[in-house]
Order: sequence, then structure tokens, then C-alpha cells
Amino acid sequence: MKAGAAVGRRAGITGKRWVFISTLAIMGLLLFVPSFHNDYINLTFRNILMYAAMSYGWNLIGGYTGYVSFGNVAFFGIGAYCSAVLSKTGIDNVFADVGLALVMCALFAIVVGLPILRLRGHYFGIATLGVALGLTDLANNLDFVGGSGGLNLKQADQAHFYLYYYAMWAVTLVCMLATFFIARSKLGYAFVAIRENEEAAQVLGISPTRYKVIAWALGGMMGGAAGAVFAPANGFVDPGTAFAVDNNVFPIAMAILGGMGTASGPFIGALLLSGVNEILQEKFLWLHSLFFGAIIVLIVVFLPRGLMYLVGLRGGVRRWLSDLRAFRV
Amino acid sequence: MSFAVTNLSAGYGDTRILWDVSLEVGDGEIVALIGSNGAGKSTLLGAISGLVDLWSGSVRFGERELAGLPPDQIVSAGVVQVPQGRRLFGSLTVRENLLMGAYLRTDSEVEADLEHVLGLLPRLRERYGYLAGRLSGGEQQMVAIARGLMARPKILLIDEMSLGLAPLLVDQLLEIMQQIHATGVAICMVEQDVQTALEFAQRAYVLETGRITLSGPAHALLDDPSVKKAYLGV
Repeated sequence: MKAGAAVGRRAGITGKRWVFISTLAIMGLLLFVPSFHNDYINLTFRNILMYAAMSYGWNLIGGYTGYVSFGNVAFFGIGAYCSAVLSKTGIDNVFADVGLALVMCALFAIVVGLPILRLRGHYFGIATLGVALGLTDLANNLDFVGGSGGLNLKQADQAHFYLYYYAMWAVTLVCMLATFFIARSKLGYAFVAIRENEEAAQVLGISPTRYKVIAWALGGMMGGAAGAVFAPANGFVDPGTAFAVDNNVFPIAMAILGGMGTASGPFIGALLLSGVNEILQEKFLWLHSLFFGAIIVLIVVFLPRGLMYLVGLRGGVRRWLSDLRAFRV
Repeated sequence: MSFAVTNLSAGYGDTRILWDVSLEVGDGEIVALIGSNGAGKSTLLGAISGLVDLWSGSVRFGERELAGLPPDQIVSAGVVQVPQGRRLFGSLTVRENLLMGAYLRTDSEVEADLEHVLGLLPRLRERYGYLAGRLSGGEQQMVAIARGLMARPKILLIDEMSLGLAPLLVDQLLEIMQQIHATGVAICMVEQDVQTALEFAQRAYVLETGRITLSGPAHALLDDPSVKKAYLGV
């Protein structure tokens, strides 16, 4: 009873302050990655940051609002193609890239979101799958963006290689801070209210469709910004890289591992899962996807609420097991 | 301000649920809407709150026509629903749930109202920082009512308050409703527990298969032979 009461008293959605401060501190350390002057380390951590930003984007709609999207890679792809098209017209500026991606992703989210976010629950998830697949097909067949052959961007020299690292770092930091502040704002409470009980939110005058579209658009802008920095850093965009299955699945798995609906979860999840993936790739070149998949399954089964849940857990293994049972309906 | 529903019809898809329902709640009145399962009670409340599309009819509150307005404007006008089955935000604290009730408000008196509501429901003060999902059924119903009050209702529509609660708890909640009523809030309670509703309300309406079949002073309905036969089992 005592232990249960302690858990019950835990703050609703704001989480623990020291956890977020630690997350920011780790983020600060990542600013020194380029000083290793090692391209492999630089690339690895830029990818971690990229996945973290995408994971934050997914987290707003999937974690906070409770609408699981399987199509958020669409925004990453749109962002990447925005940069590629800009580069084709002679504009190679990371601010222009990110700016265009933000606008396009917000527009796309609103136009596509208004019809599909009227759907409740699982139907939205299924519709988002179609959105991602449809965009891949579209990119494959649009000559304007290079079709299946893709587009080459201006190749990044060494200085730009570092610039894109810092750009990705900045994008991720903004995503992290934006999530932190949104979660504590009225906007964030509207998202969580929809997740917790959509009918109740509606009765209180919160328009579910409006706030779902806002969550999806804000999250989409995060994914789009990551794509906009990725494309020039990578120097090449085609449908396979822009709408890669990994870019769809990893951010979701990372948010789940770290903790859905938390401001630290996506980053911690991206750090850990990417680390594990790197190690697996090194040890088991051929089967690493199998092990990686198994790890994702284990996370969902044993840590459905992620590591941030463990941080707040009072009552030890017994509590953990009883909460786990509550997830098995 | 008096609240009047006139010739309201509504339904889902092709299925008509409500047939020309008319109902009135006077200023500061307590009105009960009774009826069996599937009579359309919750649909009526949903239609009033803007959650269910109206086919025809009007919903007037004072001088204002509410029919066709979106739910947020209806809440802002002072017509607030406490939905059936509590419908709390389980992973938010009691305090956060109460504040969600004031979501549309921009005035500076939200904190003062919070104190007022906690004064009415002192139990919630003890549970203030708890997650709403971990409270007992009675406490959850208190949170649901308090959350509704935080929207500053002029008329409170309560759907099946007594559902699944022990008689002793229902009595406690009715006492609280009495206090809420004393602060000038009109109440329209939808109940399956006919005896309780008719003893508490001043006037009542009986809804049967989407039509109002009987209305009048609550004590008169309590003695009405057809009500006795159909709902009270005597």
C-alpha cells in the first residue's frame, strides 16, 4: 500500500527534473565529438543525433498524443528531398534547407493529417503506413526529384562534414528543448488528454482533430529538419535512403526504449539502441538485424514504458512485474 | 438563465435515436432525466454538448442558441457535461485533471476556483498529487465532478453519477451535488437509478425509446403508477 501510494504520487507528465538535466549534460558532451577528428566517430554520432531528432518527432504524436504513426519517415524523406532540390537549383545553405523542410513538412502534415487524424486509434496507424509507401512510390516516379536514380547534392568537404555535425546537433537540441517545453505547456496537456481519454478531452472543449494535427505537424517538422541536414551531409538522396525502413522503425523503437511521452526518452533511447546496433554490426556482420529485432521485441515485452519508467519506479521488481501484467490485456 | 431543449432529433448514421425531445431546466433547478438502457439519455447529453450531430431542433441557453456550435463554445457558454464512466486522464494527477477542466478558461481565477472545488470535495485535497487512475471508483467520480466544476458551469449535466458505486458513496456524492446546487449551479442529472434521482431532483423527465413520455415534479413521478411499474419494480 505504501509503495503504491508513492508511485501514485509521482508527477503526471512532467517527469523528473534531474533526468532531463542529465540528458542535457550528455547532449552538451556530444558537442565535443568533432574534436576526435575521426570520421567514423563523427558519422556514428551524427546518425545517433539524427535518429534522436526523428524519435522526438515521432514521440509528439505517438508518445504524447497516443496516436502511433508508422509513417513518420515521410517527413524525413520530404526534408531530405527539400535539401536535394535546393541543391539542384544551386542553393547549398543548411539554414535554407531546414527552413524549407519545416514549411513543407508542416504543410504536408496539415493536408494529410486533417483527413487521417479524424480516424481514431489503429486506423490512423494503418493510414500512415500508406502515406509512407505512397511517398516512396511518388519519389520513385517523379523525374523532377531524380526518380529511382535519386539526386546528387554538392559533396561535403571536410569543413562541411563538421558543419553538418553541428547542424544535426542543433536540430536535435531544439527538438529536445521544444519537447520539454511543449510537455509543460497547455498544448502538451491537450496532447496527453487526448492520449488518456479522447472523449473526455472533447467534453472539456479540446478539439481532438485540431490538436492531433498540431502534434503531427510539430513532430513532422522535427523529422523533416533531420532529413534536411542528412541529405547534404550524405551527398546523395534516393527513395531508398530517404524513406528507408530503418528510418521508420528505429525512431519508434528508440522512443519506446527510452520512454514514450517523455522529454529525455527519445535521446537516451537513440544513444543506447544505436550503441547496441554498432556493437552488433561489428560482432555479427550478417545476423545483426536478427539480434537487433530480438532486442526490440524484448524491450516491448519487458519495458513497454521504457527506461524513464524504471527511473520513476518505486517498489522494485514486484511493482515492475505487477505493472507488466497490467499491460497484458 | 433558463436552459431549453426544443424538438430535438438526433442519431448516428441512418439510425434515429431521439424523436422531438423537449426539456427545460430552470435557473438553479435540479432536473432528473430518467429512463432505461438504450432510451437515448447519453445521446441527448451528447447532442446538447455538441458531441453528437443534431438533425433538427434547438438548444437555447438564456438568449443564446447553442445548437450547431462546436463543443468548446458550448463549454465556454457554461453548459458542462460530466461524462458517463468518469473518463479521467489516468496518468495525470488529480490536480492536473482538475486543471484540464479549466482548459478553455483564460481568466485569472482558476487557482481560486481550485480552492473552492477542493473545499467542496476535501477528499481530493488528500489525493491531490495522486495519479487519477489509481483512485477508487468513488474518488474518481469526485474528480470527474470537480473537473466539470473547474469549467465554471452555469448548468452541469451529469451522466450516470451513481453507476457502479456503493449506496453510501452515492449519498455522499448527492450531498456534494446539493452543495454545488447551493452555489447557484443548475443541475441536470441523467440516471438509471430512478429512485435516487427522483428523490433528489425537483422535476423529472422520463425518456423512453428516444421520446419524452412523462414529465412533472419529481415527487409526483415517484408516485406515478406507470413509473412505479416500469422502473421501481413495485
